[in-house]
Amino acid sequence: MKHLKQLFWISDNNGQHKKISRPAALFNLLLVAALWVALFWFSLRTIQIRLDFTFLGEFRIRIWNGFLATLGLSLFSLIFSLLIGILSAAGQSSSVLFIRFFCSVYVKFIRGTPLIMQIYLFFYIVGTAWGVSNRFIAGVLILSIFEGAYIAEIIRGSLLSLEESQLEAARAVGFSRRQTWRFVILPQMITRTLPALTGQFASIIKDSSLLSIIAVIELTQTMREISAVNFRLFECYLFLGILYLCLTLPVSLISERLERRFQYEN
Amino acid sequence: MKKRIYFLITLLSVLLLSGCGGAADTEDSAGQADTASAGEEPFKESSSDTKQTLTVAMELAYPPFEMRDEAGDAAGISADLMKAFGEYAGYDIQIENTAWDGLIPSLQTGAADIVISSMTITEERQNLIDFSDPYANALLAVLAGADSGISSVEDLNQAGKVLAVKSGSTGHMYAEKNLPEAELLVLPDESACVTEVAQGRADGFIYDQLTIYRNWQNNLDTTTAIFIPFQDVEKWGIAVQKGNQKLLDELNAFLVDFQANGGYEELTEKYLAEEKKAFDELGFQWFFDMKK
Repeated sequence: MKHLKQLFWISDNNGQHKKISRPAALFNLLLVAALWVALFWFSLRTIQIRLDFTFLGEFRIRIWNGFLATLGLSLFSLIFSLLIGILSAAGQSSSVLFIRFFCSVYVKFIRGTPLIMQIYLFFYIVGTAWGVSNRFIAGVLILSIFEGAYIAEIIRGSLLSLEESQLEAARAVGFSRRQTWRFVILPQMITRTLPALTGQFASIIKDSSLLSIIAVIELTQTMREISAVNFRLFECYLFLGILYLCLTLPVSLISERLERRFQYEN
Repeated sequence: MKKRIYFLITLLSVLLLSGCGGAADTEDSAGQADTASAGEEPFKESSSDTKQTLTVAMELAYPPFEMRDEAGDAAGISADLMKAFGEYAGYDIQIENTAWDGLIPSLQTGAADIVISSMTITEERQNLIDFSDPYANALLAVLAGADSGISSVEDLNQAGKVLAVKSGSTGHMYAEKNLPEAELLVLPDESACVTEVAQGRADGFIYDQLTIYRNWQNNLDTTTAIFIPFQDVEKWGIAVQKGNQKLLDELNAFLVDFQANGGYEELTEKYLAEEKKAFDELGFQWFFDMKK
């Protein structure tokens, strides 16, 4: 009886660290999966939809290319948005007022408006005026500018969370400005921002799907084009969801693991 | 004890897997049996005093066929046509604005009873839903960039030419079938397609004559309108869920009655008087002229 209980409850080992045993975790995950499948299957039955995924084989090369395009789009955007994010986080605490306001207006504008509006405006007005005709490059730029604002806030938030006493301590042991950054601020910044930044990468992957509205041929656009011709909307979007999970699930698992690891270190 | 836990896990996995596999099988037969009865059932009530409500889905993005009036309510030719049908057959009509890609699924899932959204009757669509007799027809045309060097639709059918189409439209189907050399730019709405052409990013946009005519009038400096000869006439139908023969019969009877009573002339006069004149001058076939 005690063993059966362990299958459902987290065992309490006399106040020690609570551990979930591997079989119990597996069992409960399966239970959750069963519930989801049953729920979905029941819904499909109720509305009398028959799913037919056979067409996927015919389009596998296009889908694979779309998958790679989404991955590339997201990776490039991650790099550029990190750059933009660091610069604008630093800019927001600059002593030059123009830079300070420039960066904070940028962050507020981007975070306060929907991505779909930014995509249309940047692409058809700014993009056309400056001659950005390659849709993939335009997509990377738009996404980087969008995600950069969110990354700026992540970085700024963790900068603000550094206790003043640490800087005083650094000064007390005679660290120079450079040494303070090198040995006190940066290591902590990395441990504090890395989990959130990894999580943001998952957001970038998902947000990149909106670039399909300007016909950037990535995963979502590929699926839209396929479903527009063969009308297999449900199958296309179901499979689309699975493919996005293949990308985002590992990323969020890494993010969780990093979070746990840095928690122990602190 | 551990063994027993693993046994439970294995059992659960097997059940899960067989559940997935079995789902497809049972669904086949159940799905078919159910759709047959679902078609008849809702209409048994129509003889009683309270009027039955029919949900009509359309995309309110194609004036003057499907649009909103100043108060934001559904209006236009399709909306008027459905209201007339409601009076004719004794239904309350409730119009739901639905995005184009969601129209067919809304019938499949039963979220809507009728779809009327300037939808062309095609074989692919007929595999999924049933259409009434055609009530209007429309032809495709090309909106070409002024500097694109396009003077006929065949000019688009060569490598390096970029052709904008609205995702899932008949223009999209036409391009897939007849213009294999052109590079297709599949966009979610008409205004994006027109912008692509007006800005010179795309060489052409293929869509119905009325939309092309209007956007050409709006962008006389940057675009030209090209009409496509020798094309199959697109016929618009009213769609219902597959197998709903009862509703289909009522719709067909209504369309005959509406035609005989001069309903289409009234709609033209109300919504499209100017365009009718322009089309007559250019020699295009009118929407409700079903003779050819």
